[in-house]
Amino acid sequence: MPKTDPIVARAVDLYKTYGDTDSQVTALDHVSVDFRRGELTAIMGPSGSGKSTLMHCMAGLDVPTSGEVLVEDLEVSSMNQKQLTQLRRKEIGFIFQSFNLVPTLTAEENILLPLQIAHRPIDRDWFDKVVSVVGLENRLDHRPSQLSGGQQQRVACARAMMERPSVIFADEPTGNLDSRSSREVLGFLRQCVRDYGQSIVMVTHDPRAASFAGRVLVLSDGSITQDMDHPTYDDILAVFAEHDDPDNGPVDVEPVTTKED
Amino acid sequence: MFRIGLRDTRAHFRRFIMSIIAIALGVAFVVGSFCFREMLNDQVAQMMGSNSDADVYVRGATEQKQDGEDGFAEYNSTYNEISTDVIADIEKVDGVVSADATHQLSNVVLLDHNGDAMATVGAPTLVIGVDEQDPWRSAHFVSGGYPQTDDEIALLEDTAGKAGLKTGDTAKIVVDGEAHEKTVSGVFTSPSTQLGAILILAPPSFVEHTLQQEGEDTSSVQFIGVYGDKSTPLDAEAQQRLADRINKELPKSADAHAVTGDSVRDDATKSIQDQLGFIQPLILIFAAIALFVGAFIIANTFTMIVRESMRGYALLRSVGASPLQVFASVLVQAVILGLVGSGIGVLLGWGLLELIAKGMTSSGMPLSGSPAPSATDVVIGLIVGVVVTIVGATLPAKTAATAPPIQAMNETVNPEKPVRTRGWIGAAMVVVGAAWWTLCYLDADKRVDWAWLKDLGSGWTLGLGAAFIIIGAIVCAPAFVAPSAKVLGWIPEKLFPVTGKLATRNIGRAKRRTANTAAALFVGIAIVSCLGVVASSMKTSVSNLVDNNVNADYVAMTASMTQPISTKAVDAIEKTEGVGASSAVYMLPTVKVTNAAKDVMTAAVKSDLLTRLAPIEKQDGDAATVIVDGQVAVGRMVADDEHWKIGDVIDLESENTSVDEAATKQASEAYRKKIEEQATALQREAQSLAAAGDAAGAQAKARQAEDVVRQGQDVDPKQFVRTKTETKTAKVTIGAIIDDALYADSIFVSLPTAEKLTDEDMMMITQMYVQAKPGADVAKLGEDLKKTAKPFYTVSILTRDEFKSSMSSMIDSMLAIIYALLALSIVIAIFGIVNTLALNVSERTKEIGLLRAIGTSNGQVRGMLAIEAVILSVFGTLVGIVVGVAAGVVIRVAYEEQGLTTLTIPWGQLVLFLVVAIVVGLVASISPAHRALKQPVLDAVASE
Repeated sequence: MPKTDPIVARAVDLYKTYGDTDSQVTALDHVSVDFRRGELTAIMGPSGSGKSTLMHCMAGLDVPTSGEVLVEDLEVSSMNQKQLTQLRRKEIGFIFQSFNLVPTLTAEENILLPLQIAHRPIDRDWFDKVVSVVGLENRLDHRPSQLSGGQQQRVACARAMMERPSVIFADEPTGNLDSRSSREVLGFLRQCVRDYGQSIVMVTHDPRAASFAGRVLVLSDGSITQDMDHPTYDDILAVFAEHDDPDNGPVDVEPVTTKED
Repeated sequence: MFRIGLRDTRAHFRRFIMSIIAIALGVAFVVGSFCFREMLNDQVAQMMGSNSDADVYVRGATEQKQDGEDGFAEYNSTYNEISTDVIADIEKVDGVVSADATHQLSNVVLLDHNGDAMATVGAPTLVIGVDEQDPWRSAHFVSGGYPQTDDEIALLEDTAGKAGLKTGDTAKIVVDGEAHEKTVSGVFTSPSTQLGAILILAPPSFVEHTLQQEGEDTSSVQFIGVYGDKSTPLDAEAQQRLADRINKELPKSADAHAVTGDSVRDDATKSIQDQLGFIQPLILIFAAIALFVGAFIIANTFTMIVRESMRGYALLRSVGASPLQVFASVLVQAVILGLVGSGIGVLLGWGLLELIAKGMTSSGMPLSGSPAPSATDVVIGLIVGVVVTIVGATLPAKTAATAPPIQAMNETVNPEKPVRTRGWIGAAMVVVGAAWWTLCYLDADKRVDWAWLKDLGSGWTLGLGAAFIIIGAIVCAPAFVAPSAKVLGWIPEKLFPVTGKLATRNIGRAKRRTANTAAALFVGIAIVSCLGVVASSMKTSVSNLVDNNVNADYVAMTASMTQPISTKAVDAIEKTEGVGASSAVYMLPTVKVTNAAKDVMTAAVKSDLLTRLAPIEKQDGDAATVIVDGQVAVGRMVADDEHWKIGDVIDLESENTSVDEAATKQASEAYRKKIEEQATALQREAQSLAAAGDAAGAQAKARQAEDVVRQGQDVDPKQFVRTKTETKTAKVTIGAIIDDALYADSIFVSLPTAEKLTDEDMMMITQMYVQAKPGADVAKLGEDLKKTAKPFYTVSILTRDEFKSSMSSMIDSMLAIIYALLALSIVIAIFGIVNTLALNVSERTKEIGLLRAIGTSNGQVRGMLAIEAVILSVFGTLVGIVVGVAAGVVIRVAYEEQGLTTLTIPWGQLVLFLVVAIVVGLVASISPAHRALKQPVLDAVASE
């Protein structure tokens, strides 16, 4: 059932603050943005820029202080638990930085899990196609602990693709991967968009990862400062060079263990 | 570090609640068991103080060897008996106010004001022979006074209250099957409560006379009690001085020795307390379960806390805290937790005991023993609680202290150590245990005949087997968690494909934890299913026995445990209209088989019993005819034990005590002569005084002489009754050996044979079987029999069904206590499951968050945890049922000859256990699921 609306998800005047009145931090400062169908959108920005908060609000994982989130014209920001569950089953897929596979299930079981949870029929052809794209044909009966990081993340990607959601949110999908695995995963995401018209929103701080995207949004202090269509790696680096203290050069990859808040 | 520990405790307090409850329950059991024992000890000591209140006791001087086998030997039977003749000598001793051998009747029933027999909860009914001259110092009369004549009695206030009798009323007591009317001369209290015993005071002459009628020798006794003061007890020194003085005066020939009252009371108290000691270990088993679960819950709780605080600890470590300091900061929390938990436990145990004491008082067993815990109990409780907590917290604390800071920063769950070795060791132990049980089974089933096995006895083989199997099962359980989860998860997986699969796989993740959690249920359920099998086998065995072997329409039984059916009642029942065949079972307690290795019971029956009322199905020879011919029929079990066969001759012997007419006459003659001599001497003195002109003196002497004569007339002739002991023996041939279980454990003779050995008075009739005449109306016969039995008060007539249920209800009330303890162990097991799930949930925060992020509904998360909990509790329950039923089966075989002829497995009950296990699992999963769902999905999945 192809959907016609060119906008798959939209944020309207999103405002989000953390902490109490004494030490309030504004994470999102009245952000409005549309995410287009069939496009890989990357959200970039330094630590504390609000890029993760934007994605969490879009995905219904966090509730904005004010403003509206719409996914497929459904208002996410006012949904109750039950509606959120339905939303997650039908419209939203996730890919996380730390893979988040169920350790007791095999790769195949992990990939099929969302469909089974939602009591939806399994499309075997689609399954085979997805598995062949991520290149996991020989690894299907392995447990996550028997897979490498890249393989685990490919399983996670396959899991997200399996239910063909309206939009997949990917939170630093390459944050825990070496560069080769990163390229494989990003290639797969781009292929999904190109071949199957999947809409993907990806949060990343890695300019190289962002360069795979069709559109790059740059956040700074809770506001969108850049909206680039098909930027090259150099375009992206240039933006960051402007933003930061020129003496420090381009923004470097953050250490993995620091928590962004 | 101490301050950090304190602050952490406050922060984690909610987490600690469950641990505190578990520790409190465990400690409550421990303290409760000690307190309960002390309360009973206190009660026993109090009762000894008021019931054996003499200042000095005179007892035999020669110690007698006891038969080693008899565990229930009376505490006072270790010295020779002494003659009551010595009383006269004692009374002459300076400082003695009274000396008396107190006799008691225990086979008496008191009727209340409605004429119904009074029953007690296990406590005896005693008639104590005391009066004004030989008083009971501890008895204080609330109204009236000591009975003066044989037609009077005095009652304990508690007894009088329950019977609805007061001073001046007419009461009835049933002695030897006959009701006697008595006037209540007074109502008294004693300093200690009597645990609901019915106490009746009657003149010593009445008591002694009744005893003599029953063939008991009243002229020699174990103890003679001596009072040095009418109203106040002597102190220890005064008792000793009095005892010394008496010892000087005691003739050597009396073979008697005086000791202080205190020493006798101490000995007696101690020996009774030892007999009651068995109760404590029983309670301690459940205390051990509670504490085991408690330690385990604490370990889980601390694992959770340590996991969540790892960052903090890593930080502390990275700023220079030593591992020991981190360790200490965790342990401080454990100590505080232990102290709080055991403090509550001590109070809980105390409260529990107060409740038990109240309950016993209101059910007719007033207790005056104090249920308050002693200082030692409190200290023991606190130490146990704190030690258990520290043991539980040590491992997590070690993890906290030794984990390298970097590893602590990352959230990783260390993989479990393999459980294979444990599995093998445990399985080996189970096999050893099962081997013991098999040996026990083979031995009992007569498949093997090995002397060493017989010598060991079934108690040992059963016990060793049980110990090995239970410990082995606990040891090897982790290895079986994953496979059994697969099996048990089959149904849930079919019903709920996704959640079922997830739950089933989750069970196998922390195998040790799962197994330990299940162990608490396992032990409790094993004990109860074992008892369940034994009890239901007992019930069906009895009921089968009655159905298949007993043809009698009615069974007459004695309603009072102590009082047999009187021969008059037997005669009356036999004469009742419509009675066809009937036979009483006369137990012959005085008859012994001198050439038997063990004590064997002998009973006299009519041949009707063996042919018509409860016909024998399988026997060698013909029991009914041989006993009429003066031979004996022997039960198969006895014959096997003694290796007897038909044609063997056994020696029967009976010691019979009866009133010695000649000696009695002689004694009263001697007394009369003595009085006459005294009177004559006094009169002679009076005459000589009169002759000397001392008229006043002469008159006084004459009055003395008259007094002496009057005294002589007043003396109760029963006082002179002398008894004699005769030993009769008979050699009889074994004519038949009976296989039927009903007859398996006794020797049977006919009444005429029995009468050759002993008097009818000395036989005890416990049961009487009655069959209606052919064609007679059975229902009407029942009514007539009840009418016939009414005047005998203590004889109850039971139909076949009543007879069966009288046996089952006894078993049921025994089981009720065990079930109450089971209920408690289930509560504790629930805590264990809740805690384990909570720990699992905390370890899987991320995973559950992920599941929810990809569309798992709240209901599905709840369902998954519920299935995990149910699998866990069903696992424990199933293993418990298997082990328990196996134990029950082996026990049943081991005691087959004692009447456990039919194996019945209470399927309904076992299914109920499983249903309860499922409910327990469902209930236990509620709170952990709530906790899992409270966690925002974002926190669980947000990248670090």
